[in-house]
This record gives sequence, C-alpha cells and structure tokens, in this order.
Amino acid sequence: MLEVRGVQARYGDAQALWGVDLDVAAGEMVCIVGPNGAGKTTLVKTIAGLHAAAAGSVRMDGVELTAVPGHKVCDYGVATVPEGRRVFGHMTVRDNLLLGAYRRAARRVYRETEEEVYRLFPRLRERQGQLAGSLSGGEQQMLAIGRALMARPRLLLLDEPSLGLAPVIVDEVFDALAAVTRTGMGVLVVEQDVQRALEACGRGYLLIEGRIVTAGTTEALRSTDEVRQRVLGM
Amino acid sequence: MNTVQVVLSGAMLGGLYALMAAGVSVTWGVLRVINLAHFGLILLGAYLTYQLVTIWRVNPLVTLVVTVPALFVLGALLQWAYDRLNIVEFNSLLVSFGLLIVMIQVAQNIWTADHRELPRDINPFDTGSLSLGPIVLPYDRLVCLGLAVLLLGGGHLALQRTFVGRGMRAFAEDRTVAASFGIDHRRLSVLLGGAAGASAGIAGMAFMLGNLIQPSHAYEWFGIVFAVVILGGLGNLLGTLFAGISVGALSGLVGVLWSHAYVPIAVFAAIIVALVLRPQGVFVRRRAV
Repeated sequence: MLEVRGVQARYGDAQALWGVDLDVAAGEMVCIVGPNGAGKTTLVKTIAGLHAAAAGSVRMDGVELTAVPGHKVCDYGVATVPEGRRVFGHMTVRDNLLLGAYRRAARRVYRETEEEVYRLFPRLRERQGQLAGSLSGGEQQMLAIGRALMARPRLLLLDEPSLGLAPVIVDEVFDALAAVTRTGMGVLVVEQDVQRALEACGRGYLLIEGRIVTAGTTEALRSTDEVRQRVLGM
Repeated sequence: MNTVQVVLSGAMLGGLYALMAAGVSVTWGVLRVINLAHFGLILLGAYLTYQLVTIWRVNPLVTLVVTVPALFVLGALLQWAYDRLNIVEFNSLLVSFGLLIVMIQVAQNIWTADHRELPRDINPFDTGSLSLGPIVLPYDRLVCLGLAVLLLGGGHLALQRTFVGRGMRAFAEDRTVAASFGIDHRRLSVLLGGAAGASAGIAGMAFMLGNLIQPSHAYEWFGIVFAVVILGGLGNLLGTLFAGISVGALSGLVGVLWSHAYVPIAVFAAIIVALVLRPQGVFVRRRAV
C-alpha cells in the first residue's frame, strides 16, 4: 500500500534522509526505531507531505504523493498523529474529532466514525465537551489518534505516541493501535520506546543517520547486533 | 431614567462598533493579519451606500444587495494579495496602513472632504424612534444592534458548528496540523477575507443610517474598534458583540455622568483594567489547566 523509495530530505544544507526505502501493507503495524536525530520525524513528515522530499518517491496505492500539495495528502488515505500530539487546545474534544473529518469523503460518514472512535477510546466520549487543552497527556494522545482516525485513513502515521505517557496509558494506546490494524488499516509508528515497538509490531526498520540500516521482522531485529547496541543498549 | 436611556442608547450604538470590529477580529485572530485597510473598506461601504441611496432613492438596507457582494470581492482580493506577498502579523500593520491612506485619498478624490449624509427624505431610520414608556430607542441604532446580533451571532455559529468554521479555528491554532487534515489555507484565507469585507459593507451602511461621513472618519474609528476587538478576544465574535455593547453602554454612561470628553479615557482605562484581570480577553472562555 505505502511504498517509499529512495527518499531524501534536507533542511537547508543539512541532509536528514539519504535514500530511504520502506513499505507498509494494509493490516500491518510497522515500526521505525533508531537513536535521536536519526531522521525518524523527518521521514514521517515527508510521507505525510508536511516536508518536501528532495528526491525519491512516496507512493500510496500507486499514487505519487511527493507531487501532491500537503493539504491534499489526506485525500489519498494518509493521516498523521504528530509528535507531541498537537491537539487543538482551544477547541473542544468533539470539535477536534470533527476537524479530523474535514476532508469531504470523511465528512459524509463522520457520525459512524465518531462512534467507532468513542468505542475505541470511551474516555473521549465522556470528555466530548471539554477543551482539549484541559485533558491529561494520555487523553490528548487518544484524542490525537481519534482525530486522525476521523479522516478515515488507510494508513495511520504516528510519531512517538508513547512520549511522556504513563505505562498503563501506553498499553491502552498500543491496544487501540492493534485494534485498528485488525480492521485492515496500515500503521506506521515511530517509537522511542524500542522494546514496546518491537513487541507491538510485526516488522520494523532501524534508521540511523538518515539511512535504513536493518529491516525485517521484529523478532529478527531484536537479535541483530545493531539494534542491540545502537538502540537497546545491550 | 436619563441614565437608563443613555446606557441603552450607548449599548445600541455599541452594535455599530461590534459590526466594525467583527472583520478586524477574525482576520487578526484566524489569519494573523492586522488589517487596517478594513477601515478603508468600511469607509467605502459607507460611501457606496450613500451613492446608491442617492441615485436609486431606495431604503439603505436595499443597497446591501450591491455593497455586500462588492466588498466581499474586495476583501477576498485583499487577503489573496496579503497571502501572495507573504504578509505576516507585524508587517501587515505597515502595509495595510499604507493601503488605508490610499483608500482614504481615493474616497476624498471621488466624494471630496466635505460631509456627506443620506438624503433625509429617503432614510427611514433617520429621525424615527420606538418609545417604550419614557425610554426612546432611535431606529437607526436599533438597526445597528439588530444587524450586529444577526451578523456576529451568525458568524459565531458558523465558526462553532460548521466544518469550515472548525477548520478556520483549527487553522488559527496550528496551521501545519490543520493542513494535514485537508485544510487549504489559500482558499480559507480568501473566503475569510471576503467575509470580513462583506461585514465592512454592512458596517458602512449601518454607520450611514445615523451619521455624516467624511474620509478622515476612518482614522477616528481606530481607537474604539481596536478596544472592542481586544476586549472581545481575537477571533471571538460573540465576545466582540458583547464587548461592543459594553463599550457603547460605558461611553453613554460616562458621557452623561461626567462629560463626553472623558469617554476615551474611561473606555481605555476600562480596557487596561479588564486586560490586567483577564489577559485572554474578557469574553473568552477560560482555558482550563
């Protein structure tokens, strides 16, 4: 479904990605792990169309996304849960969710999707009328995921979903991600908590200094030397 | 009774301030453009109303059919240009002030610096009033308040309840995330700029109902309109409506208790106090922490 080929990205003169290849199929959960500064966030932003690729291609079911303007990428089934959640703090929980359904195709079915999101995160239903800025970190993360799901994506991108959250909440978040994966959605997650990511995902990529160093099933990754040394610290 | 009367008259006049402030508030709050040229659009709306009423000899409300679409287009064009030229919050002040000077000069060339007013025999709101016992409510001010309630109340509902309105609020908070959900900032800016322009047309017409117009009036509106915008909270139309009414009522009260000369002092003192107590805007729902 998602095919990333030879993607390069730059910030001015500084090159952040040096030809990344990556695939995500429907119904699988894939992780990108790697040390700080490896280019994980840049990779997510480039796929989401929020950062222009300097070279290479990002295809979603065969459609080239690097040529599509940033605000149109969601029309091709890509939704993002950004790093640091970035919910709209001055808007209510429900308004945040409905904003997620802004694109036309999602707008038509927003009531159904909203119900699905509330079933996935019952706490959001209780908090509907509250301002998003007043939620706890965990609730904001659930809201950021719910908002992305409201766009009815085929591919969900998540950047550091566990950052700053209590372990119990992280469990809840990853359970929810597993549930949406079972519905056939592709999930690509960038995660600092490598243990957690390797447990939750079927496949993974190790990104170091803007290059994919190792890729494979998470069991295989766990036993490679690079992963053990560079990110697990064993 | 006199006090009640002036407070009510002032509050109704406050509707006019709110009408003038609405466009400034949304473009500043959502698009981050402090558009001083908005006062030029109001001026233009007022003169167009004058011109059309004089030529057609119709009820001034009828002229909205022409002025609202015309100023929508102008407001949209203006916003499109700001967007193209990458005008941001700070330099928007300079650029739009320059534009305002040009607009005032143009108005002066066309309509001269003399006062203009709606022909009294056609303006049905000029002298009449509604009497409630001892209280007299002049028609022109009633219309101002009514239009303000309709326009700002309607605008508020549109921002709160519609997908596009939600998109605008989201855009005001975080443009990048908003874009990732399909919000096209170009289209949205032009639409909002147009809506602000249209509101200037309505404000200009409302102003003409009970006032004389001359080009330099655009400068005189600055103080009170910015006061209303700040008090109401940027981008908060319901707040702007209440702020306009409050400022109007306060001006009326101060004018009769002390002197009209003290009105600006009282209004701005009230704003300083209000901002010290509630820096997020007086009528803004407090963000729970």
